[in-house]
Amino acid sequence: MSDVQKKKFVVTRFDPDKDEVPKTQEYTIPVRPDWKVLDALNYIKDEVDGTISHRWSCRMAVCGSCGMLVNGEPKLTCSTPLDEYGDEVHVAPLSNFPVIRDLVVDLEGFLDKFKSVKPWIVRAKEKAVEEGPCRQTPEELHAFKQFSMCINCMLCYAACPVVANVPEFLGPAAIALGHRYNLDSRDEGAAERNEVFRGEGTVYECSYANECSEVCPKNVDPAAAINQAKLLAVLDWMKSFVTPRRGGE
Amino acid sequence: MKPLLLRLEPVIWLLFGAGIMLGTILLPGYLLTMGLGVPLGVLPAEALSYERLHGMLSHPIGGLVFRLVALALIALPLWKAAHHLRSLSVDFDGHDRDGLVGGVLYLIALAGSVLGILAVIRL
Amino acid sequence: MSRPVNPRAMAPARAGRTRTAAPSVPDRFWSAPRMRRYLLFDATGITYLLVGLSILRVVWALGSGPEAWQTVLRQFRSPAYLAFHALVLLSVVYVGVRFFGLFPKAQPPKIGPASPPPGPVLTAMLYAAWAGATLVLVLVLGGVLP
Repeated sequence: MSDVQKKKFVVTRFDPDKDEVPKTQEYTIPVRPDWKVLDALNYIKDEVDGTISHRWSCRMAVCGSCGMLVNGEPKLTCSTPLDEYGDEVHVAPLSNFPVIRDLVVDLEGFLDKFKSVKPWIVRAKEKAVEEGPCRQTPEELHAFKQFSMCINCMLCYAACPVVANVPEFLGPAAIALGHRYNLDSRDEGAAERNEVFRGEGTVYECSYANECSEVCPKNVDPAAAINQAKLLAVLDWMKSFVTPRRGGE
Repeated sequence: MKPLLLRLEPVIWLLFGAGIMLGTILLPGYLLTMGLGVPLGVLPAEALSYERLHGMLSHPIGGLVFRLVALALIALPLWKAAHHLRSLSVDFDGHDRDGLVGGVLYLIALAGSVLGILAVIRL
Repeated sequence: MSRPVNPRAMAPARAGRTRTAAPSVPDRFWSAPRMRRYLLFDATGITYLLVGLSILRVVWALGSGPEAWQTVLRQFRSPAYLAFHALVLLSVVYVGVRFFGLFPKAQPPKIGPASPPPGPVLTAMLYAAWAGATLVLVLVLGGVLP
């Protein structure tokens, strides 16, 4: 096997029972030209050091489990080709998240934010089954479809400079998903969601760095969603001077 | 200060939006003439002579437009600046002092805007 | 630059069962090329602040009489002011190019009953307004019009 190439992986390690702070460990392993970054991590886990912990599942950029920092950039490791990198590759857990162990971050904070925007269709009155399905035109679908492609991989949270500094900020994926339901013609929950959107730590915190959209592996474009939501919030605020607020809808 | 800023976010954002949009659209024309063209001698010095400008100011419609553009050129960049410097401060210094930093920056923009209104009124 | 990440960033409402390491960002996060372009965009706040205050002084001088106006015109011929105005012009062009690129996608699919024009059309309109306003101001302040 003369064509075997070797690469050095500098992997962030953290053992909550032993380590005060995360440290790094180096592994030099043979790699194949068609490998993704995840293949190398799995090789290390299987052949070199079984104590290393990382999350992954589908290997086809759908499940959103294997997000990590590769050379400082948030990436889905299953869809990031190794040959994009040189002889030394740094793999670290997603930035801006508490770290449970090695490359595994704590998702609970994200799930709290995620649930708070009511990411489901809210109806004032449930439509009876006999009345048939809620129909939607292609235009109505097109209005939100892009924002529904999110796989909750949280790369956008790792990339966002506001998430790093403002713990209350709902963050890119949650706002994009809330906005997706606000734009859905079948949904009637915009008023409830906007209460969450427009309080502290919400759409106005976004400084439009556009980093979330740059790293999104699914082209959801959360920055577009947040800033659309921001514009709609400002328009509603202006409207509130013209028409008195309607309550209890 | 932070709760007050939160209540004012829509106003701040509108002023910032006007600043980054209109300010950016208007500034090159000012910079290319007053800032560079005339001082470098590319454009004639008489173009910005005191008499010519006050001639424009005495025109009923032209004078109003002149004053509005002058006010926009003073106030809008200040609001754009205040908002962007506030977010720069969050990026490097965190969120704890956001209320104070934001408050001071917006007060500068507000003071500049009020003085700008005075400046165009006394033209 | 006291701390690059808030220790409570993405913390759960209730602490989990195991100890976690504090959230972090890569060292020198600000040196990544995209992050640098964003921070530079925000840092143009400095040039906008200075030019806004400078224009306040210019307009004030124009209202204070011919001598004050002459002083401003003379000072603006100094290399320091020429460099300042060139720097501001650069920063304004930078802000315009980045902002006009980001602007169209921030428009909701519907604003009230109306749909905003498609992105490329909107960008073209912004650039047309930019060029148009610049041309009119240069013609008026340059002595060609009226």
